Amino acid sequence: MAGIDDMLGGGIPRGSKVLYSMEPGVNGQLFMISTIYEALAKDLSCLVILPHTTVDAFMHDAANMRGAKLELTEKKIAFIDMIDRERIQRSAPTRAAAENEWRARITKLCKENQVEVIFGYFDVICEDFGLEAGFNLFAAHNPGNSPTVILEHLNFEGDQILNRFIDTLSFDLVISIKASFGKQPHFNFFTIVHTSWAPLQKRAVPFIISNGRIVPYIPKIIVTGPPESGKSTFVASVSERGQSVDRPGLSGSSTTVAMDFGWLHWKDFDITLYGTPGQPRFDLLFPMLLKNAMGAVIVIDATKPDSLPRAKHLISLVQERRMPMVIAANKNDLPDRMGEAEIRTALALDKEVPVFFISSKKKDDVRFVLESLVDFITQYPY
Amino acid sequence: MYIYKTGIAQVDGISGGIEAGTNILLLAPSMSSAEQLAYALIKPVPGEFSIVLSTNERAAEVVDFFKFSGCDKRFVGVIDAITKSSTPGIADTPRLMFVSSPTDLTGIGIKFSNMIESIFEGTFSDGESGLFPPPIRFCVNSISTLLMYRKLEVLYQFLHILTAKQRKIEGFALYLLNNESFDDRTLSLIKQLMNGVIEVKVDGNDNYFRVLGLKGVKADWLKFSVNKGQVTILP
Repeated sequence: MAGIDDMLGGGIPRGSKVLYSMEPGVNGQLFMISTIYEALAKDLSCLVILPHTTVDAFMHDAANMRGAKLELTEKKIAFIDMIDRERIQRSAPTRAAAENEWRARITKLCKENQVEVIFGYFDVICEDFGLEAGFNLFAAHNPGNSPTVILEHLNFEGDQILNRFIDTLSFDLVISIKASFGKQPHFNFFTIVHTSWAPLQKRAVPFIISNGRIVPYIPKIIVTGPPESGKSTFVASVSERGQSVDRPGLSGSSTTVAMDFGWLHWKDFDITLYGTPGQPRFDLLFPMLLKNAMGAVIVIDATKPDSLPRAKHLISLVQERRMPMVIAANKNDLPDRMGEAEIRTALALDKEVPVFFISSKKKDDVRFVLESLVDFITQYPY
Repeated sequence: MYIYKTGIAQVDGISGGIEAGTNILLLAPSMSSAEQLAYALIKPVPGEFSIVLSTNERAAEVVDFFKFSGCDKRFVGVIDAITKSSTPGIADTPRLMFVSSPTDLTGIGIKFSNMIESIFEGTFSDGESGLFPPPIRFCVNSISTLLMYRKLEVLYQFLHILTAKQRKIEGFALYLLNNESFDDRTLSLIKQLMNGVIEVKVDGNDNYFRVLGLKGVKADWLKFSVNKGQVTILP
């Protein structure tokens, strides 16, 4: 999950304790499945604990979700499944005996296979033994060489149980996976609730499932700015698909009279761009266009100081929504452009708002702006 | 607000049917006609959809019931928690989805959400009704089986979420529970999640039901039979 790995600063460090907490009904099983596939692709020795299903059913479901079979040839992977759990339940007369039997099996498999990653579907184990005793079954089998432990848990209890994973069990990464459910369109989102290795802000990111992959989704980035600052060119340069609704303007060049629309898949994110018209007579549309946007690019013409008051007004509308924003100072390739200090003063910008000098005709320039905005969105303290 | 007709005059008579967003517990002893009664009550009328979470019979058997009841099976979905344990490679279709076992509450929740989503998006079947929100009847057959696999406290939380979702989507849901197999605490805990209860009893060869807690419905015992999905109130 490259987009998520980027948000985590490169991925999950070895030896970490990771929780994928799933709200009931959310289609988030692919988080765990993707991590298993990735571990196997890296030739890590894995133990997968499936107390809710059989190995065959799991393999079939995983292949269906991922769109590719779990190739086990020459891969080091061991399983404990529902049938094993039933055997333990039948043979162990008490809870303590069952706990011992579980521990013995996990320890044996860890030693035999030199397991580096344990994947556990945790809610049934948690129900059988409680949170701490259940988790202890996964921990400390090989003193000095702790495997990475990755759990998927069906969360009925909300943040309360997440705090126990973080505070009591010292989990290194907690990702909460949720979904909207109601009469409105359904959508899924994940929140990186906690990381022990990076001071990430807690934030929710929508995701879609596409070709067996989790794809973080930025449903709306607004591209706005004064008239003829280069917004349509910006959207067109960066998009894989798009449409602009233009009319000839007074200056002879075209001006946007409805909006620009663009879509791109980039750095494992699906991103949709909405370019607004720049003229004040369309300001009525602006609140609607800003609604539910996750970030904004303000495009200004760096050669036209007289357009900055208009840009400042648009910035104030964006700031009211407290959303991440970057400034793209366009026409960097033309003479007599303003300097950064002049622009910052004229626009009264906070120092954390970045200003990029670009030519919106250059794909690399606009992609760099977008990359910075995506980083900003995924790390923004909402 | 949408009203779900039951086809039983004594139930539909005063209020016109069951109000959208209603969750009903169907308490019944074993060897009664409760399952047939439940299916008859959640059989979709034109313009509606039905979903059955089947924990004790295969999807094909559930679909057969609806087919023989004369309703359009394109509007019936089944989440089958039985078949996959013996046929792990069985594939989901938009209307038939499979989870590995009744233990798998994660899978059940996901398949339920997926089915609801496809109904809302209009991809569940052709010939959509156009009503919004689409009227959906839902049945769990039965909670008793789920309770054999998961603890009461966990199942209570699961049902708490399921019943809340039914209210959100303005559905009508029936949950079967064998009242002979569980103690009073279990029954009263699960009743807390419901808007009403239908009790079934068997006296000799005769089946009776009564409705408790629904506005405008008398709590008298009614003798009934079910034939081809039709409930007949007997004298």
